[in-house]
Amino acid sequence: METPRMKPAEFLDLYEQLLRIRTLSEHILEVYQDDVMETPVHLTLGQEAVAVGVCANLDKDDVLSLGHRTHAGALAKGMPLKALVAELYGRTTGCSGSYGGSMHVYDPEHGLHGSSAIVGGNIALGVGAGLSFSLQSKDNIAVSMFGDGACDAGVFWESMNYAALAKLPVLFLLEDNTLSNVMPKSKHLFPDPAAIASHFMPTFFADGTDVLSVYQAANEACGEIRRTGGPAFLHCPTKRWMKHQGVEEEDLPFIHIDRSKDCPIQKLERYLLGSHLATPGKLKEIRARVDQALADAVRFAKESPYPNPEVLEV
Amino acid sequence: MPWSRFEKQWSIVEDGRILSYKDAVREAIDQAMCLDPKVFAIGLDADDCYGVYGTMLDLSHPERVLGTPISENAMTGVALGAALTGMRPIHIHMRADFLPVAMDQITNYVSKWKAMFGGKPKVPLVIRAVVGRGWGCGAQHSQSLHGMFAHLPGLKVVTPATPRDAKGLLLQAISEDEPVLVLEHRWLYKNEGAVPEEMYTIPFGKGNYLRRGGALTLVAPSLAAIHALKACEEHDLDVDLIDPRTIKPLDREMILESVQRTGRLLVVDYDSPACGFASDVLALVAEEAPDVLKRRAGRMTFPDVPMPSSGVLERRFYPDPERIAARVKAMIGITQSEEAFV
Repeated sequence: METPRMKPAEFLDLYEQLLRIRTLSEHILEVYQDDVMETPVHLTLGQEAVAVGVCANLDKDDVLSLGHRTHAGALAKGMPLKALVAELYGRTTGCSGSYGGSMHVYDPEHGLHGSSAIVGGNIALGVGAGLSFSLQSKDNIAVSMFGDGACDAGVFWESMNYAALAKLPVLFLLEDNTLSNVMPKSKHLFPDPAAIASHFMPTFFADGTDVLSVYQAANEACGEIRRTGGPAFLHCPTKRWMKHQGVEEEDLPFIHIDRSKDCPIQKLERYLLGSHLATPGKLKEIRARVDQALADAVRFAKESPYPNPEVLEV
Repeated sequence: MPWSRFEKQWSIVEDGRILSYKDAVREAIDQAMCLDPKVFAIGLDADDCYGVYGTMLDLSHPERVLGTPISENAMTGVALGAALTGMRPIHIHMRADFLPVAMDQITNYVSKWKAMFGGKPKVPLVIRAVVGRGWGCGAQHSQSLHGMFAHLPGLKVVTPATPRDAKGLLLQAISEDEPVLVLEHRWLYKNEGAVPEEMYTIPFGKGNYLRRGGALTLVAPSLAAIHALKACEEHDLDVDLIDPRTIKPLDREMILESVQRTGRLLVVDYDSPACGFASDVLALVAEEAPDVLKRRAGRMTFPDVPMPSSGVLERRFYPDPERIAARVKAMIGITQSEEAFV
């Protein structure tokens, strides 16, 4: 793979982004059993590289349309950690004012216009944002991010068809963890979605467990969209470490995960140290900063008020 | 389909510039597009040479009328996505029966989006759909579904009955920052009435007296309101006739005030009966004014079966002005037996 042309600081920024998301997941693992977060969580453990690699190619006003697995995408797109953590803790200071929870996150200032828990539909909303940019002659792009499960749904095909027909600036981002809940892809999806997508639009590929691979492919895909004004497709195979929902590890017999070899963070660490882009001390410094940011966010959340039940007119 | 053979249903005689319902809708869209470059229309066949029964023809900004593939579900999501990112879309369906194709997006996305994010998002999305009926349209081309959609928290449901309301309510819908479903009845398209030339809005949740009377309160939306008006005028019935104009929000005060005066209530609703608009109006009176009724309240709706196609069956299936008049007469005691007309 060609190594992305980036400044050393940008490599380190990718590292910090990955860590921020991972650290939040680890915090959730720690506290979830205590029911302090009354919301179904779909963790992004092991899948951090897709969102981080793509979002590093997006501007603040570019749109990211997310489904139910939100944490990585939201943070990578720029949502403040405090807003997400407070939402998970059900507080009024959360990104959705406590009305959304883990699956429904909102931060229009960073191009996050709301996420959805019905698999597939958010793809269309991303296309709508692309239509909006096109009608307003804006140079922004919209990213519809979804998993292989969403490729089963009609809205996936309808959205690709319309985006191609109307030539809209949309990146169809397939984060392919090969699982629809516990169904392997061989049981839920007959065609190869990227092969089909290539009939509609330029199609790109990346290793979804390698943030540099994703960054590079997303760079090319986004460049294509910004150049042509039309859509592109990016297929990122990755691995889901946890069960579809909750804090238990995946234990399906046909899923094989090597938590060192498949880990996006360790992969990048090995690269950074091997190519002398960072020292162990520097990485340690970043880890400390990320840990502190999470501790601050958790404190902020816990000190924030719950909503007043009286707001509901019963 | 001989739509051209359908005559005007019944028009209110009034002064002013006279416009058809269809042209009133067209004028609202044209004026909204001229006022605000963010307003655009999108829908299956919205941009073809027929222009959605003429409501989309000869607009000042045809470049903002977009056709779509047969993909109502995704296109509803597309319209929502555009609404969330600065545009004011009007998503158009030639038949209300096509709305259920987009039920996921309407139920789980459009109607929920504002509340699901703590009330923060603006969702300036209008969904326009045309209700059909008759001439063998059958089960999949004759539904109104306003009761079903009003069931969804977060969605406003509007059913204009007059040309004036068609324009004013549509302009209000376009100006809203929350999603609105506007259901226009195809049988009203030729009806004429006074329509101001300038832009104006009619607030939601404000009903309209189509006739004043003292013996019975008749509540009827959309085409049913016009059929009820015809029944009352042709039979000179002493009826307080309320067109609610919007199913949700509902003008509860107007209905309650009237029922308290008349002591009799009939709801005529061209929709299926179960858990419907008519049931809701009866529930309102049962909850808020249980003691005012002099006799039991009545509902006239479709039977609780899908629409038949045969003309013979259709004429039995659909209420009409004559049957409405007969039911009113029975309820206010002009005729002996009410049951004969149920």
